[in-house]
Amino acid sequence: MIRVMDVHKSYTKEKETIKGVSFEVKKGEIFGLLGPNGAGKTTLMQMIATLMKPTSGIIVIDGLTADKDLLEIHKRIGFLTNEIKLDPMSTPNRLFDFFAELYDIPKEQLYQRRKESFERFGIGPFADKRINELSTGMKQKISIAISLIHNPPIIIFDEPTNGLDILTSKQVTDYLMDLKEQGHAIILSTHIFSVAEALCDEIAILVDGRIAAQGSVKELVDQTGAENFEKAFFKIYVDNHVE
Amino acid sequence: MESTRGLKAIIGNFFRKKGQMGAQASSATFLVTVGFVIAVACAAASWVIWWFPYHLFSDEVYNVVVVNAPDSFIQFNEETQEYRDQEARAYGDRYNYFANWGHMTYFEYSYDGYGWTEFIYKESDALYDFVTFGEWMRDNDAYLTVVFPADFDEQIKARQEGLTEDKPEVLTYYRTNSLEYSDMKNEFIDEYLAYYQGSIRADYGIAVTTVSDSHIVHDPIPTADENDDFNIGANLNRTFVPILLFIVLLYASMSTGTNVIAGQKERGTFTGILLTPMPRQHIALGYLIGVVLKAIIPAAVIALIASLLSFRFNILSFLAILVYLLVLEIFIASITILISVINDTVVSAQTAFLPVFLILVSVCVTCIQSVSERADFYMYIPVHGQFYGIGDALNGSVDFAGLIVSSILTLTLTAVIMIITVKLLYHERYTVSIDTVTEKEIKESQSGGKPSFLTRLNKATDNFSFVITEIFYPLVVLSFYQFLAMIPVVVSYMRKAEYSSFIRDLANVGSVNDIINKTFEIISIFFKDPLYLTLMTVGYIAIILTYIFHAGRVWKIKGFRKKAAAVGYPLSGAKHIAKHYFLGLIIGFAMLSATVGIMYLTGQISFAGFNLNTASLGVFALNLLMWVPQGASEEIMFRGYMIPAFSRRYKKAIGVAVSAILFSAFHSLNSGYTPLASFNLVLIAVLFALIYLLTDDIWMTSAIHTAWNLTQGNIYGLQVSGNNAANSVIKTFYYKNSAPIITGGDFGPEGGLAVTAVTVVCLVIVALLLWRKHKKSKT
Repeated sequence: MIRVMDVHKSYTKEKETIKGVSFEVKKGEIFGLLGPNGAGKTTLMQMIATLMKPTSGIIVIDGLTADKDLLEIHKRIGFLTNEIKLDPMSTPNRLFDFFAELYDIPKEQLYQRRKESFERFGIGPFADKRINELSTGMKQKISIAISLIHNPPIIIFDEPTNGLDILTSKQVTDYLMDLKEQGHAIILSTHIFSVAEALCDEIAILVDGRIAAQGSVKELVDQTGAENFEKAFFKIYVDNHVE
Repeated sequence: MESTRGLKAIIGNFFRKKGQMGAQASSATFLVTVGFVIAVACAAASWVIWWFPYHLFSDEVYNVVVVNAPDSFIQFNEETQEYRDQEARAYGDRYNYFANWGHMTYFEYSYDGYGWTEFIYKESDALYDFVTFGEWMRDNDAYLTVVFPADFDEQIKARQEGLTEDKPEVLTYYRTNSLEYSDMKNEFIDEYLAYYQGSIRADYGIAVTTVSDSHIVHDPIPTADENDDFNIGANLNRTFVPILLFIVLLYASMSTGTNVIAGQKERGTFTGILLTPMPRQHIALGYLIGVVLKAIIPAAVIALIASLLSFRFNILSFLAILVYLLVLEIFIASITILISVINDTVVSAQTAFLPVFLILVSVCVTCIQSVSERADFYMYIPVHGQFYGIGDALNGSVDFAGLIVSSILTLTLTAVIMIITVKLLYHERYTVSIDTVTEKEIKESQSGGKPSFLTRLNKATDNFSFVITEIFYPLVVLSFYQFLAMIPVVVSYMRKAEYSSFIRDLANVGSVNDIINKTFEIISIFFKDPLYLTLMTVGYIAIILTYIFHAGRVWKIKGFRKKAAAVGYPLSGAKHIAKHYFLGLIIGFAMLSATVGIMYLTGQISFAGFNLNTASLGVFALNLLMWVPQGASEEIMFRGYMIPAFSRRYKKAIGVAVSAILFSAFHSLNSGYTPLASFNLVLIAVLFALIYLLTDDIWMTSAIHTAWNLTQGNIYGLQVSGNNAANSVIKTFYYKNSAPIITGGDFGPEGGLAVTAVTVVCLVIVALLLWRKHKKSKT
């Protein structure tokens, strides 16, 4: 579903932020991106979500490229990142209506999707409250629900469990597992090793704009000979990071 | 297949109370809303201005100009002089009664008591020269001109001797801007002139038993509709109404237009919309239509009111006005959208829009200047075409060729702007710029490397736009409210036929210097106008509120009390506030009195006794009232808001320095400004800033400011920063050989060394107190 081929990105002439990254994500697979702050995770995800153009390299999404079929790609992806905020003065209900119009979702389908998401995340009682009156966890759950309002086959989530309590985190990870089973292709970036371990079929460790290592949790642990995944990550990071 | 559902949703959001766009009411929006309500009220009130009780405040307008007075009339006046003096004394007592109790109007006494009347004798061959008569009346505080034929007595004699049957004709001209003047005129004719007729009968022995014996023609000064040269209403339609509409469109577009994209970028809600399958041209179009609809509604309402009031209302011309407005608004909206796309925050977008605003307003001003001798091609080009087109349509004539050509050209220009906008919307620099910059900054701080050129550029632009905004904000806010306050006053003056030529001169000024001089000339007249004083008092209060809300928005403070406290007006502790304010009043009075004392002791000035007469007490009281919010508004602008605004970014000393320089520069347009005046104003501003830092609020400086201006202008009768105050308790004279270096010349004491001396002494005292406070807080 997603093919990233030798993608480079530089904001300035001197410095490259992404230095040639390639990977592939298949249907029904959760692909994890792991790396420290500034490794280029967000930049990479923004490029996949078509918000930025690679300096060189190609990103193919469901056989389409952003140059030619930008809007078709938008119909197929759901993107969640901390930088995308909900209008603080709006309400969940109104946001649902608004984005349903923008995605051109038929009325009955919208009704169905709203019902599902509200039930799953317990948004119902807050449906007519203003966003700025809601808790961080509730905001994040609404963000997730809205980013998936059009039921996209491809899901790109940047730190979806960041700043959430254990219970809400669990709700989110459970949802991602369900989505995976439904056959969605999912890219996930995270700081939290347990989340990566539990969810990801394939993990790429991003250090200084390059993929330092890639494979399943088991493969990565085996590769490095470390005791557990966390230690494996640090070993890879230390080996690849240039001061 | 593209659906228009998304487009409708984006437009619909503009009209939702708590919707995506209407979310954060910026202070500009607040300004527009308040200003808008005032503007509509003013526009409507301007035409029905006679509700304002001018006569309560009017200076002694009860004189009569007599042209070609025959000997018999002069003699009659002399004979009645003693009687009129008695009457005047009696009425004077009764007038005082009014002044004390207030429930009877001054007017009742002045018009039926022509005992106060002084006769001003003039000679003229032209019996119908109402323009000159109007000037004489204005210059002599007269409400009536009586014009006798040059050979009146001869005509009477001829009639007496039976040589003719013609009755000699006496013409009267009176001011038409007040119904009271008409009553006064009737009273004068029915009583005084009737007595005079009686005396003619007695003197000449002719049998005149009725008033009609001497034919009196009620001949008012022609008003707008009767004479094309004096067509004030039409002029108004071609000048003030279009400029008002332009400003409404500009403000409304700016507040919504900059809020939509730049505001959403600032709040982080824009990316979510960009990620939907809405084509970017639809997004841009949706915002354009939303801004247009929001701005066009108030403008259309004003246009409708103006059309109805212009008495030349017809459906066709009103439709033409709507088309002009719509095209103009689409053009302005497209510019705001473009600026909104380029900028990342509401404040930077508004700053970037400011030049556009100023350019378009200057275009309006040039249009006003050349309204009479405009070239035909102006009708066909953008902006000028709309300005002239609206003015002409309000006067009932529609130039269809101009309408069509100017609309097509303007819309073509708009299309180009929109194409650029859509192109930019596909560019990542203008859609995700904030994230990339912050990410880069994090990296730079981690690697400790030099900031890149782009980052530095970004910081520089950021600082630049901050400083520009802070510099322009007071100017824009003040001139906005001053402009609003002026509209009804200007209009009411235009209604006074004798002032209209004076106001119309404004349209014929040549240089910028002329405009400034003329404006100050007019403002100095307005300063004696109760309506202007009342409106400016309201305006200054509005400025204070605008600043409180502006600060609350910029600094993200909730709750009115907290907002007010942040700009130096803590509202709790009434005793403390009262103490500060009272002390401030005393300090202000003392400082100015010390200045006057220095000028007196060095032999610069002399006092000529008391100057306040009972008739001007009303204006005097309004003047005093105005100084309270006037002082407070300048304090909030230059101390309460500006010093913390700069201190938050830079050092406190920079805040003090910048505010002091701006405070001084702000007064540089006033007449009589000198380098010494600018130096003094910097000193005064620094003194006020230090007092602000000492007291932690601006209650005291506000009081000092108010007391200073009040004492200067209304107690000692000196110029306040180049402005003449209307009424003062004491009349002060400068000696002919006085030194402007000490007295400040035309600018008033603030331009002289006397103020420098007093301010320096105060500065030293306050600096010592501040130093002591600083030391205390350390230990």
